[in-house]
Amino acid sequence: MGIISLEQTNRLYWLGRYSERVYTTIRLYSKCYDDMIDDIGDNYADFCRMLEIPNIYRDKEDFNQRYGFDETDPNSILSNLMRAYDNAVVLREEIGSETLSYIQLAIYAINKAKISRAPLLELQNVEDNILAFWGIADDFIESETIRNIIRTGKRVERIDLYARLKLGVKELKSELRRMHTRLVSSGMSYNKVCLDSLIALIEHIDETAEVDYAGIVKNVENLVLV
Amino acid sequence: MYEMDLLDNTEDVNRLLARYGVKFGIYKNNTFKEQLFPFDAIPRVIQKEEFDYLERGLKQRVMALNIFLDDIYHDKKIVRDQVIPEDFIFASSGYMPACEGVTPVKRIYAHISGIDLVKGKDGEWYILEDNLRVPSGASYPMIARELCRRSSPKTFRDNQLEDNRNYAQLLRRAMDTVNVEGHTVILTPGRYNAAYFEHSYLAEKTGAHLVNGSELTVENDRLFYVDYKGKKERVGAVYRRISDEYLDPMHFNPESVIGIPHIFDAYRKGNVALLNAPGNGIADDKGIYYFVPKMIRYYLGEEPVLSNAPTYLPFYEEDMAYVLAHFDSLVLKDVAEAGGYGVVFGSSMTKAQKADFIALLQREPRRFIAQEVIDFQDLEIQDAGSVVERKADLRAFVLMADEPQVWKSGLTRFSRSPDSFIVNSSQGGGFKDTWVLSH
Repeated sequence: MGIISLEQTNRLYWLGRYSERVYTTIRLYSKCYDDMIDDIGDNYADFCRMLEIPNIYRDKEDFNQRYGFDETDPNSILSNLMRAYDNAVVLREEIGSETLSYIQLAIYAINKAKISRAPLLELQNVEDNILAFWGIADDFIESETIRNIIRTGKRVERIDLYARLKLGVKELKSELRRMHTRLVSSGMSYNKVCLDSLIALIEHIDETAEVDYAGIVKNVENLVLV
Repeated sequence: MYEMDLLDNTEDVNRLLARYGVKFGIYKNNTFKEQLFPFDAIPRVIQKEEFDYLERGLKQRVMALNIFLDDIYHDKKIVRDQVIPEDFIFASSGYMPACEGVTPVKRIYAHISGIDLVKGKDGEWYILEDNLRVPSGASYPMIARELCRRSSPKTFRDNQLEDNRNYAQLLRRAMDTVNVEGHTVILTPGRYNAAYFEHSYLAEKTGAHLVNGSELTVENDRLFYVDYKGKKERVGAVYRRISDEYLDPMHFNPESVIGIPHIFDAYRKGNVALLNAPGNGIADDKGIYYFVPKMIRYYLGEEPVLSNAPTYLPFYEEDMAYVLAHFDSLVLKDVAEAGGYGVVFGSSMTKAQKADFIALLQREPRRFIAQEVIDFQDLEIQDAGSVVERKADLRAFVLMADEPQVWKSGLTRFSRSPDSFIVNSSQGGGFKDTWVLSH
């Protein structure tokens, strides 16, 4: 039919954001988990601080279990995946059953990981399904607008996470360029002042200069008006 | 007639059904849960000649029901001629006074009908129930067929079957036939509806747009879809999967937050088609079911091809006497309930329950119908590695475009409990594909 409503736009955008959040936080979580094997301090506390999520965990074992797999913890990877699903499941006719099925498969994989004796190994399957979801979304979804909205959500989330994690200006520059193109093509309303600020904060600075990460987070969070 | 791989791969097919989200929603203890709908790969097989007979009967029945709806909301000849007592019309919760005098596009009321049948051990088919409001279930055998063809290609190469994957085309034709001008949409109450999978799957397969009430608006008695830039696009047909009472808060339930204010005005003025038409509940009232053979004779001047299950209306003194005398051998149904609820077997009640029920029956005779328990045929299903027999029914679908068309398949539901006649998914039942042979 070729038309999409504001609500669907909102859901497509957040599908992109949550799927990216799951993908990137799994990788961060795995790294954090790995560091804690060697008892390098309470890394999970730094992890929570950087992502600005409340440190509600008793100790690293509690963090390892709950941050990954506790559905009652709104910041857990599982909760974020369920939010991706909540958005995807109402978009079947926009994204297609095939595309949707990879989010469903990711849920099966994370539930399997939850009860596994080697959860980090099983989480690889969640990552794989998220990657397959993006791949098939690009391949299968005919509407360029829909693809651009999902991809804008994905890139916005990635900039947000990378800035919180202070990953460096090189990565941010690359993500900003890709996001900018998608955002303009998506037709979504956006805050021009925030976009200009992001360009100023990321694009126009030297890689050796100090980066205003807090400013980037603030502007990227307020960029898209959905 | 099927290869063993069809059965051997059942688990894989169920795994794929889960992957594609083939689920139904259910509320337990006020919590929404999504459940898988268990699929059994042993098909129900219907010979061509037998289906031809069913097709004739189903078309005849839906034609009569469609004329009945037109009559009830206009001339009421069938009441005036005392074929159906007025108590069964105007006291029915399915009768909607707001629909009086309203004529839908092309006088089609029953665009999609789901007719529940069973095959008795005597080889006869019996109609158990007519569903003319928002019947669901066609999507399940559609997607199961798709996967079974992958599971056992030789089975489908060696057998001449009607391809049931054309349901989406039949539905699309039914929608396009009445579309007045503009887009076609499927209106869903949202993902927490029991049949949400079906809403979204049919939208994908028909190319219609899946919408909820907040995405539609009525202006100048016309219905519009509002896109994300605020542009309004005219909608000409709505396949609505929400109940009449929630459709329009200005006319029906004022507390509905899933409906569209004034959509009924647009419909009444012929500016949008609603599939199925509001007010259809009167035709699938369990009390009206008793009269369907009479309405076939009255409107069409024909003998019914398909039989009802022998049914008694305690409303009539003579029938009440029969029901009381044969209580233990009957099944009693509350006409206001659906989905397998409100069904009790006389034989399963304790003495005290029976006394209470009879008192209720005598106080509210209009509220119940009683039916002979049809000893319907069991079908084979797979159960923990062996093949056992279970009760099964068939929901056949009739789609009305310029003329009724019967979908050459259907949803076969079965009970997973050896002692149960209740096949509804909400009660733990599973489903099968229904094969109609083409030669």
